[in-house]
Amino acid sequence: MDTLVTITVVSRSSSDADEAIDKGFHEIERLEKAANFYSPDSEISQINTHAGISAIKVSSDILELLTKARYVSEKTDGAFDPTIGPVIALYDFHKKIKPDDAAIIKNLSLVNYHDMVINRDQSTVFLRKKGMLIDPGGIMKGYAAGRAAEVLKKHGIVSGIVAIAGDIRAYGLKPDGSPWRVGIRDPGAQEQDKVMATLELRDMSISTSGDYERFFILNGRRFHHLISPKTGYPAEECQSASIITTEGALSDAFATGIFILGPEKGMKVLEEIGLEGIIIDRKGSLHTTPGIRGRLELKNPA
Amino acid sequence: MNLRTLLDKTTAADRLFFLLLIILSLSGIFFIREILPESQTVLIDADGKPAYVLPLNEDKTVSVEGSEGKTIVEIRGKRVRIMDSPCRNKLCIRQGWVETGGVVCLPNKVVVTIRGHEENDRGVDAVTR
Amino acid sequence: MQLRDKYRIALLSAFALGIHGIESLFPAPIPWLRLGFANIITLATLVLYGMYPAIMVTLIRVILGSLFSGTFLGPAFLLSLGGGIASTLAMGLVLSAVPRLFSVVGLSIIGALFHNISQLIIAYFFFVQRIEAILLITPFIILLGTLTGTLNGFISEMLINNLKNSAQTIQNVSQ
Repeated sequence: MDTLVTITVVSRSSSDADEAIDKGFHEIERLEKAANFYSPDSEISQINTHAGISAIKVSSDILELLTKARYVSEKTDGAFDPTIGPVIALYDFHKKIKPDDAAIIKNLSLVNYHDMVINRDQSTVFLRKKGMLIDPGGIMKGYAAGRAAEVLKKHGIVSGIVAIAGDIRAYGLKPDGSPWRVGIRDPGAQEQDKVMATLELRDMSISTSGDYERFFILNGRRFHHLISPKTGYPAEECQSASIITTEGALSDAFATGIFILGPEKGMKVLEEIGLEGIIIDRKGSLHTTPGIRGRLELKNPA
Repeated sequence: MNLRTLLDKTTAADRLFFLLLIILSLSGIFFIREILPESQTVLIDADGKPAYVLPLNEDKTVSVEGSEGKTIVEIRGKRVRIMDSPCRNKLCIRQGWVETGGVVCLPNKVVVTIRGHEENDRGVDAVTR
Repeated sequence: MQLRDKYRIALLSAFALGIHGIESLFPAPIPWLRLGFANIITLATLVLYGMYPAIMVTLIRVILGSLFSGTFLGPAFLLSLGGGIASTLAMGLVLSAVPRLFSVVGLSIIGALFHNISQLIIAYFFFVQRIEAILLITPFIILLGTLTGTLNGFISEMLINNLKNSAQTIQNVSQ
């Protein structure tokens, strides 16, 4: 995974801490291997290459990951869709390639999470149409952060924070008795570490989707990686969406889904399900769910 | 020999030196109280190495291995004390409960300091982006 | 060394040891307050017989004291030795450099000060290695050291007077 992973734990012994951190990293690597979109031997690739042909038996991890992905797809009315693969594959964010409209429209017909059949009894996943591709990118890191935290707990770590890029799982309290404090990146700033607001996180996960993560500019237009499964083009209403839930996978997937839905619909969805979130819209205005207002500490509002 | 004649034996230099030390140490006590930040964390060092970092607001009793044996440190009600120590003079125990500063047991090489967490207030532990 | 000096050193060391031992039996009235009564003997030795016997008395007291209490070569011993030597040297040097400037009380305060400072330095280099912990206790220790040093100075003053008088008496009798 070409992302920065940090694990911080609180432990009485540094050897216990090292061992737990090691196990945490292993867990992330293991999940990464199973869910890698680009590696042909991954479970996800197995499902993808057998699209339209046969159901593939998968591990409980992938089964859980895709079940959660499907749940978020349903709740966001398909704004988050793990089967966005065929459209994403048309874009190349390194080479700055934007596909033509015809190709996008053609591949959009392959994007539909309803055609991802999950059989929990037999632990199989089947993509109904040939050419369909599951891209777990929008849920994978959050899921792995949550799972790594579980591994830390299992190794007796009472407090820790796992950050896979911007997907963070924090549990327990810091040695000084305060909860872990997480900064939310300022989407307008060039610097990666410029923080717009901070909030305390205890036994929760937070993920952010932002238009600054992966993008290219072509003919004066900015194309970022948060592609709407409805249009096949980058969603334009938000600069970033940060979502707090009890589960890493849900935070990650909802961050993508809510970003694509935009501030108005996004806020409505969050309130319906009872999740907390922070949205910064295109104009730079801040939208927050009521539950988070007292907890958000804004940094020098410019 | 009464007190009067004893006092008469002291020189001007004696009295000046005495006053100087009293003033310096008193202002030192005040000064150190001033620069000590709002306390939040209890740091326990044993034998020159950090042994524990504990929150001051969580009641807890820990045992640390010093050079002469186990020193028991108790945190309760945002205060800290050395509950038991193998040292001979037991000065650390007699110091009782402290809220700021710390307790030091020199013979057993155990140092308990109470520290603020002002660095953590400004910084964050992770950034979501 | 004359035989008489040896007797004196032995006798004074015994006094110092006794005081040292008795003092460690009592609980300290306030934290950090060690009365340092053994310094009374060191100071009296210094004033009456000079630097060399005073250092001998200090060394004997520290070494035998730690052997008796089982702390020989331990941290407490190191602190005790450093403090004892530093304070005896400081008092002796001040006494020989400016003999009339300080009285016995002033010397005692100087001794207490150097005792404390050297102990803090030893503690820093050997045991604690956390300068803020040392700085934290320094003013308290110096304040209490000054007060107990003053008290010990007065006691030394009386002791020296008594010893001088009794020495006089013995001389008068023998004449």
